[in-house]
Amino acid sequence: MRPALLPLVLVLVSAACDNTITSTEALPPLEAASLDSTAGSWRMIVLSGPTQFTVAAPAAETSAAYAAELAAIKSAQSKLTTAQRSSIAYWAGGGVLRWNQLVRDLVARFNLPPAPRADGTYPVPDPENPFADPQFPFANPPYAARAYSYVAVAQYEALKTAWYWKYQYNRRSPARIDSGIRALMPVGDLPAYPSEDAVISGVTVEMLKVLFPAAVEEITERAAEQRNAALWSGKAAASDVAAGLALGKAVAATLIARAGADGMKNAVGNAAQWQALADSAVARGEIPWISQESPPRPPMLPNFGQLQAWLMTPADVVTERPPAPPSTSSDQMKQEVAEVRRTVEQLTREQLAVAYKWNDGAGTYTPPGHWNDIAAEYIRDARMSEVRAARAFALLNMAMHDAAVGCWGVKYLYFNPRPIQLDPSIKTVIGLPNFPSYPSGHSTFSAAAATVLSYLFPQAAADFDVMKEEASISRLYGGIHYRSDIERGKEHGGRIGGYAVRFAQQDGAN
Amino acid sequence: MKASVFGVLLFIVPLATSVQGQTIDDGLLLPRRALGASVLYGHDSWSQYWEGDLKRANGNIGTVTTQSVTWVAGYGLADRLSVIALLPYVWTHASQGPLHGMDGLQDITLAAKYQLLATPLTDRGTLRAMVVGAAGIPASNYTPDFQPLSIGLASRQFSGRFTLNFQAHRGWFLNGSAAYTWRAKVTLDRPAYYTDGQLFLSNEVAMPNVFDYTVTAGYQSGRLCIPISLSQQRTLGGGDIRRQDMPFVSNRMDWVKLGVLVMYSLPAPRELGIRLGTSWTASGRNVGQATTLTGGLFYLFHL
Repeated sequence: MRPALLPLVLVLVSAACDNTITSTEALPPLEAASLDSTAGSWRMIVLSGPTQFTVAAPAAETSAAYAAELAAIKSAQSKLTTAQRSSIAYWAGGGVLRWNQLVRDLVARFNLPPAPRADGTYPVPDPENPFADPQFPFANPPYAARAYSYVAVAQYEALKTAWYWKYQYNRRSPARIDSGIRALMPVGDLPAYPSEDAVISGVTVEMLKVLFPAAVEEITERAAEQRNAALWSGKAAASDVAAGLALGKAVAATLIARAGADGMKNAVGNAAQWQALADSAVARGEIPWISQESPPRPPMLPNFGQLQAWLMTPADVVTERPPAPPSTSSDQMKQEVAEVRRTVEQLTREQLAVAYKWNDGAGTYTPPGHWNDIAAEYIRDARMSEVRAARAFALLNMAMHDAAVGCWGVKYLYFNPRPIQLDPSIKTVIGLPNFPSYPSGHSTFSAAAATVLSYLFPQAAADFDVMKEEASISRLYGGIHYRSDIERGKEHGGRIGGYAVRFAQQDGAN
Repeated sequence: MKASVFGVLLFIVPLATSVQGQTIDDGLLLPRRALGASVLYGHDSWSQYWEGDLKRANGNIGTVTTQSVTWVAGYGLADRLSVIALLPYVWTHASQGPLHGMDGLQDITLAAKYQLLATPLTDRGTLRAMVVGAAGIPASNYTPDFQPLSIGLASRQFSGRFTLNFQAHRGWFLNGSAAYTWRAKVTLDRPAYYTDGQLFLSNEVAMPNVFDYTVTAGYQSGRLCIPISLSQQRTLGGGDIRRQDMPFVSNRMDWVKLGVLVMYSLPAPRELGIRLGTSWTASGRNVGQATTLTGGLFYLFHL
């Protein structure tokens, strides 16, 4: 080999060998900035109050039963395996943040549309048969928005209840009571009974079993691991964990009952309803949306707009809707179609990067997942207590669920065609979503999310605004939305986000 | 979903006569101080692909066609050492569905080929052994995140190759070549992706390394040379395309291909050669069942 070539080759070899990827956000051990000792009185969303579920009084710190629990912890700590230590380190990062990561993973795994059958029809994922092909669920953006919100709200309600009982009983952590027990994750002054880790574990596992039933095995394993980590670390005793687990499961049952009746069961609709949507558009003199997939696929969740919102009444949902889109036969629409075509054909590499950055299409954690990804870093950096972190995710995800309900309602009210339907010469640089164009879901989600996050983290409001604008315009760069879809979507999402902000202003957490 | 053109070229350009030693995996060198220049056109298309192990068609892409024009230059630095450079320009196109094709300069490859051994074997012919080091880097800022329509995988790579060549006096030849390719991680424009059963909260993707080999047999008579070849690529890791998912840059892309090539050097000018080739994908995983056609012109300069 020639000397001149050798350095180049060495550089390439060394670059090729460094192939390590950090797969998750780094979460340092959570030392909460505040105990949030009043969280038991923060406003509830679904529960009537913190005493809807009673947590029985624990054994005294001085009791023989409790002494036996402490001895068990010491015994466990004396023979911790490497795997147990790494599981303690993992969960020390915070249960709410960890589960948020895990739910994003589940969404990405289940966010795949069913493959067509040989006859050109599509099977519908069946919650009664979740392991089949197609797997259940198809965790598309509305489904994902709803799933993130149910997990976050359930955790938040359960943790407020737990905080209430913690300060009723004020039983300390094992590591605080017994100097023979080491604190292997941060153990603060928060009362340990019932264990917040076990509450999160119990409530989350029950919600996820319903939302992602095919992942039941690993969800259950993860949840057990979280409870064990609390135990092994000296943070909670067995009775703290047992009470927390029971409370978490009880709260989950309430949320699961709500989920069973929130309208999701009817969101897919049927062939007669899909035809009626097209007929309605034709009757108004508009060109109806037609699936551009091959074979044509039924529209995504046409009745999702009728789902129960978290913070809006059905009347609010209607009131906040944007006006009708430009008529498909109008000059404005022709100009907007031309703008899409021009944009894609003249796309810069930077614009393409923006389109990919925010695409969040099939197989990803979806736009709501992307905003959870963003929020997680701010929540981590703010060192929020578990209950305050749950509040942040609940506010964010309620707003995005309501944005999905609002946006999908409008999409199917107008049933507006995508740009490539009006001009088949347009080609897209990202996958084309299989539902009507107006308004843009990304813009609605992003504006709702940015509004909530700007309230929670006002110092970063300008950053959230930039992200919202970028996420929204990315859909024009991708060739899949008109500018008016984006503008009206942003306005709509901002109004919907306002409901969560107004809730937060009066929830007692400030 | 796409073999890099680098990989394809290893296969479609296995041997030459008047322009011998121009490719990375043949067992021949360019004469000292000879410069071989060539331009190749490639046409690669498939309408069926393997989604993991499942072979299927997809109405949302129809037939995916990849065309390339590749500039190749080789130079005989010494009696036992040649260097080769490749640079393809690639266009992709899907015949159905909404997705936009892409085009651009793909990866530039630089290779050095060193002859370890050239010895008469009995009285029937000559055995040669070669080692080749080849390095590739993206020549433009193209995205690898739009498979199967990205123009390449955008990974910096280095391969070490060993080639044995037996050239019989009566015109038969046999060539075997195998390589291990190390691939650097690639960077996407997005902050997270899901592959191989896991969500990665990162814009960086670890690329599995690749093993490939090609066995070529052929006959040369006068100005005509016809090699046929069998080649296989095995990606040593990476996830499958999930059911009804898009392909991903780090998928485990495997294939077995069969190919035939016709090379002819003109009576005059004797430095000019042409070649036509075709290949067919016999089996694969996370790749299209591609049929390729290639055509090229060569010119040998004696400096």
